[in-house]
Amino acid sequence: MSYLTVKTREAGGGVSVVYVNGYLNNLLGEQVEHAVWDLLEAGQHGIVLEFGETRLINSIGISFLIGIVERMRERNGTLAFCSLARIHRELFQVTGVSRYIRIFDSEAEALAFFAQNV
Amino acid sequence: MRLLWSYGAESSFRPEEFFGREEELTALLRVCLEGKSGIGSSVLIYGPPNIGKSSLLLKLKTELQSVTGATAPPRPFPFYYSFSKILSHPLALSQHFLQEYLWQLLVFLGESPPAAFDLDALCESLGALGHMECRDFLSAHRRYSDKGDGLSALANAFSFPFATGGNLWYPVFLFDDFQYTIKLQNMPDGAIFSILRPHIKSGHFPMIISGSSPGHVTSSLKREGLYGSFQLIEVGGLSQEASMKAWIPLFERRNIAMPEKLMSRAAARLGHVPIYQRMFAEEVSFRNAQIEDEVGFENLYALSVTEGKLNRYWREFFENAIPDRMSRARAVRFLKRVICDHFPIDTFEGAFSLMGSTPEEGNEILSALEFKGLLKSDFEHIQFLRDPVLADFLGWAFERGVQGKNTSQVAAAIVQAKISRSPLEEGREERERSAALAKEMMRRWDCREVPTLLFEFGRFREKFGGKGLLEVMIGLEKDPGTMRLPKVSSVSTGYRTRRDGSRFDFDLVAYGFHEGDFSEENLVIWAVDVHSEKTLTHTAVEHFENRCRLLSLEKSLKPGQLRKWIIFDGAADSTVMEMVSRYGIHLTHQTQMRLFLNLFGMEELETVREEKRPSEPRGEEKPLEFELVLPIKADTEVVAARVAEEVAAYASLDKDTVDRIKMAIIEACINAFEHSGSTTGKIRLRYVLSPERIELFVQDDGKGFRPSKGDDESKRGRGWGLKLISELVDDVDIITGENGTTVRMVKNLRSGDGEGTITSKDEG
Repeated sequence: MSYLTVKTREAGGGVSVVYVNGYLNNLLGEQVEHAVWDLLEAGQHGIVLEFGETRLINSIGISFLIGIVERMRERNGTLAFCSLARIHRELFQVTGVSRYIRIFDSEAEALAFFAQNV
Repeated sequence: MRLLWSYGAESSFRPEEFFGREEELTALLRVCLEGKSGIGSSVLIYGPPNIGKSSLLLKLKTELQSVTGATAPPRPFPFYYSFSKILSHPLALSQHFLQEYLWQLLVFLGESPPAAFDLDALCESLGALGHMECRDFLSAHRRYSDKGDGLSALANAFSFPFATGGNLWYPVFLFDDFQYTIKLQNMPDGAIFSILRPHIKSGHFPMIISGSSPGHVTSSLKREGLYGSFQLIEVGGLSQEASMKAWIPLFERRNIAMPEKLMSRAAARLGHVPIYQRMFAEEVSFRNAQIEDEVGFENLYALSVTEGKLNRYWREFFENAIPDRMSRARAVRFLKRVICDHFPIDTFEGAFSLMGSTPEEGNEILSALEFKGLLKSDFEHIQFLRDPVLADFLGWAFERGVQGKNTSQVAAAIVQAKISRSPLEEGREERERSAALAKEMMRRWDCREVPTLLFEFGRFREKFGGKGLLEVMIGLEKDPGTMRLPKVSSVSTGYRTRRDGSRFDFDLVAYGFHEGDFSEENLVIWAVDVHSEKTLTHTAVEHFENRCRLLSLEKSLKPGQLRKWIIFDGAADSTVMEMVSRYGIHLTHQTQMRLFLNLFGMEELETVREEKRPSEPRGEEKPLEFELVLPIKADTEVVAARVAEEVAAYASLDKDTVDRIKMAIIEACINAFEHSGSTTGKIRLRYVLSPERIELFVQDDGKGFRPSKGDDESKRGRGWGLKLISELVDDVDIITGENGTTVRMVKNLRSGDGEGTITSKDEG
């Protein structure tokens, strides 16, 4: 009954947005991971993960995010999260993920940050 | 000149297809046979036009013919004469009467009458049998004709039968369509009764008079002092049983199949009037149609009234009776109000005022209507006013003539009016909210697949009947059937207009395309109705189905292009279920809808709904306990979270708390899945809700719970589970026993106890 898909969008300037819609578990986590890797292979260096339509995140999903964080760091890319629900923002703090990423309230803010700094 | 409807019952009468009316026949037969002993009385048969009075007379005639041989003379000679054939000139009537009488008498006597319908030849044939009196009457007839004395000619002709027979036979008069006698030129009303009076009084000549205008006939009888000699027999529709039987030969002959259970309904719809039944069967046969189900029947019926046989039948009557178009329209409008709206007419003034015209005009229309039994004095005969087919015809004529609707719209209106008269305003708010939810949901389904169980209430209930929603949510995972939803490009919320208490629109109509190709072939239309009533009635379903068929016709949709969906919120009995599956309608209960909403991530929308629910659990002392059994399968923890959310919503918890509980339960489930090594493949959850706290128990039956050891637990760096749980809730216990492991999580609800945000120990 999996209907979850990961959508991506090129925002220009080597920056892409990945939309994490649905339940971020192992399945979606894997899809997100693949999407990010594909974008990195395609030469993108800035990735924004958009969580506006994310309903749930579980610990396995978080472990995938950590994998992405690590890969981005290896590649000297910049990773930002945006549109997080309060509970998920807290979750990333608890798990320490937020130490390695930038968090923005909206996609526009994240892209503005990339436009200025990257 | 033959007047209208000469092709009536007489020519089409089939004695073997005469059903019912046993009581009337017995009474009539007795009256006729008593003529022999001089104690015969006379009978006035009355009833609305087309009800089957003529058939009754003709049946009586065949019955009398069959008893004739068995009795000693004098034998009854049934003479059937219909005044619908008369010519308005009395001389012509007398001639015709004599011809008919001689002809039928010769047949009665076993002679083959001469080929020519010639008075002299007929008289000769009778004379050859030794009945010479005919010649005198014939020469008298010529004499009066030459003088142009209509009244004498008529008296002569009508006296003739009494002079014949002697001890061998006695005539039994079966006078049909008697109301036409008022059309005779220069003849006083009731002249015929004056002529017949002494013979009627004698008791030897039973007379059966039939007419649809009893008011007129009875007043004539009263004037002649004959009223007391007549019995009155009212003919109405057939009995249920008889009209059911009447269908069988009608359908057999035309090779029409009608489901047995539809027969009584169809008979009732046609007022149990045999001629309507016959016309309906002819209509169906003419269209090569088959009657498959209720809605099919209703549509054929409406077609018949608006453009088929039943329509022509009545239209001809009105066109003949009221040639002037304006007066006809007014008369139709008038009758529509009288018949369809059951408007009481106490006075003629009232009737005129209904017509919206002057008393003169009204009188004119009423006189025109007199022609076929619609007489002022007949309005008291309520039964006529209830003729359902005439009422529908008038509805048609009215809508079409007055309101400019086209035929199919009127047909639809007739069907709708027939199928449903249920009040609509009941539960309106609830329905609108449900419709809005469904609309939002449809907007979001985007070439998705959903389990068919979400649509099919029958299967859903079969599978989960008697179980709680929570179990159902788990079970969905096992459902192999899925259904592909189109990409919906527009959803419009219909409106329910009220006209005569009927609905004309759907609650929702969605247009969509499969495979994202915006071509005609890919078009799918979803028609949706939402019901908030306690019980889903079969009329509501029929009504819905009918609108679907109309929509299909209108848009020329191929089978499968129109999806029919009813969302309901109550009970549905087995007949409704059977009907729904027969029509291929998706039927979804609100319970299923909630699962749907979950699937489409529309919890917020639904929460708005839930908020209306009073939050009584808070005030209760006793904890509320909810239980859930979850199969160990990927993603089922979402269900557990969903249930947690429901439980939390029940307790009106704030969103942050709900979110934390959801995450905690998800983690606990995942842990149980991964580590328990369960033998049953299930885990068990309990949600215990009290005013102070919510306790969550996740129990597996595995070998034992091993607390995760952080990053080294797996290569992927999993194992956040327990750590997260401890951050999310106020208290965690892990109890491992022989029967498995239970994780107990507690979240305090009293303010101050657990309001703090998650402490961010790891943040650097």
